[in-house]
Amino acid sequence: MFVALLEAAPDAMVCIAADGRLVQVNAQAERLFGYERAELIGQPVEILVPDAARAVHPGHRAGYVADPRHRPMGAGLSLAGRRRDASTFAAEVSLSAIDTDEGILVAAAIRDVTDQRRMTDLERSNHDLESFIYTVSHDLRAPLRALSGYSELLLEEYAGVLGEEGRGYAERIVAVSEHMGQLIDYLLHLSRVSQAELHLQPVDLGGEAAQIAEEIQRREPLRHVRFTIQKQVQALADRRLIVTVLENLLDNAWKFTSGREDASIEFGTAPSGDAALCCYVRDNGAGFDPAYAGKLFQPFQRLHAARDFPGTGTGLASVRQIVERHGGHVWAEGAVGGGATFYFTLDDKESA
Amino acid sequence: MTSQPILLVEDNPDDEALTLRAFEKSNISNEVVVARDGAEALAYLFPDDDGGYDVPRPALILLDLNLPKVGGLEVLRKMQADARTRLIPVVVLTTSKQEEDILDSYRSGANAYVRKPVKFSDFADAVRALGVFWLLLNEPAPSRGPESD
Repeated sequence: MFVALLEAAPDAMVCIAADGRLVQVNAQAERLFGYERAELIGQPVEILVPDAARAVHPGHRAGYVADPRHRPMGAGLSLAGRRRDASTFAAEVSLSAIDTDEGILVAAAIRDVTDQRRMTDLERSNHDLESFIYTVSHDLRAPLRALSGYSELLLEEYAGVLGEEGRGYAERIVAVSEHMGQLIDYLLHLSRVSQAELHLQPVDLGGEAAQIAEEIQRREPLRHVRFTIQKQVQALADRRLIVTVLENLLDNAWKFTSGREDASIEFGTAPSGDAALCCYVRDNGAGFDPAYAGKLFQPFQRLHAARDFPGTGTGLASVRQIVERHGGHVWAEGAVGGGATFYFTLDDKESA
Repeated sequence: MTSQPILLVEDNPDDEALTLRAFEKSNISNEVVVARDGAEALAYLFPDDDGGYDVPRPALILLDLNLPKVGGLEVLRKMQADARTRLIPVVVLTTSKQEEDILDSYRSGANAYVRKPVKFSDFADAVRALGVFWLLLNEPAPSRGPESD
């Protein structure tokens, strides 16, 4: 009866005699720890305890037998189990004492909580990161405002005393503070994108791209760029966010083709493989060194000098963040002077 | 122009100096009273007397949210709960752009919400615009005295 109950338990269960030897284990325990039943019976329970905790375990065991109530083991501690191959896993253990003819047996139910613990760790670190970013970005803005403010006041009220060189320095302080303000805003934006709820709806990416292209062209009417935009590219996406992706990619293409007479920018779709959709934005502009392709999507990384192509180095990081929120990924192909193509997929099957 | 003071509730001495400077530059002649935390603001708004005012009612309050002792939202709520202060225009002037802070401010009775720009000239423009709107263009609630409410 007792053995049948043990077998029926959903968790791995082991029973330990007063001397700490295993007297009963169920099939779930065999599976969890990777032992055959016969290898376990008669062995000290410490065989299932990670090396680091093995020395102190008999003491804990004696403590439990002295006050044997049903309770979770090691409350407040991160418990772990040890498999036959010496690997360990995060565990939750609850204990109960069973009074038998052979004395008190301790039954332990062991659950592998690796996934849960990883999730809560991840959630906690995400949450910590977000509140950290929030605090930092606000705390940083105040001194920045003072830096920029006092420099502007110096420029306004002490321009004569400063002289030309001094004014130049003060202007640099103003410009740099403003740039830092943008970087901080970007940090806030990133933390917001990662928290935002997605409102998925059908979006025609071709139509949106055409509209953005028109808008960019209007800002600099003197530049001549040939846009080739595929029509009717249907996607299921958060409109506001996916438009940000297209804006960033098309803005970049516009910016990096600024040196070319025959600039052309193309938006279209590519074979999507396992994804629902794969789009690209291609230009024949300055391109980039493929050795640094991986750095393109990291925040604050710039592959070009700010004086050649201004920017905060945050647009592509934002693109990646948004695409990944949509279950897709981004990559880029290019060569120095040979233009660049940026791809993004949406709704990859493997990540669904 | 009205002679009532402006109450600036600001704990950061640099922001205080820059705001005062921005007011000077914008030719707004009202006296600016500074409270350096929420408790000072409340002490100014609710002096220990028998209900009457022995200080002039501010024409405008510029209120930071993140304040020592008593926070800006708490100041707003206390003001809303009292007939003597309920009708004073309050502009929340803060670094935060967080949606919750904006919503909480309006829910607690703020009349406007302005994020402090980093660039001083932008900040000075904002302060000037606030002064022009709230002190010149806007028609304040008629002051009928605290007893007549």
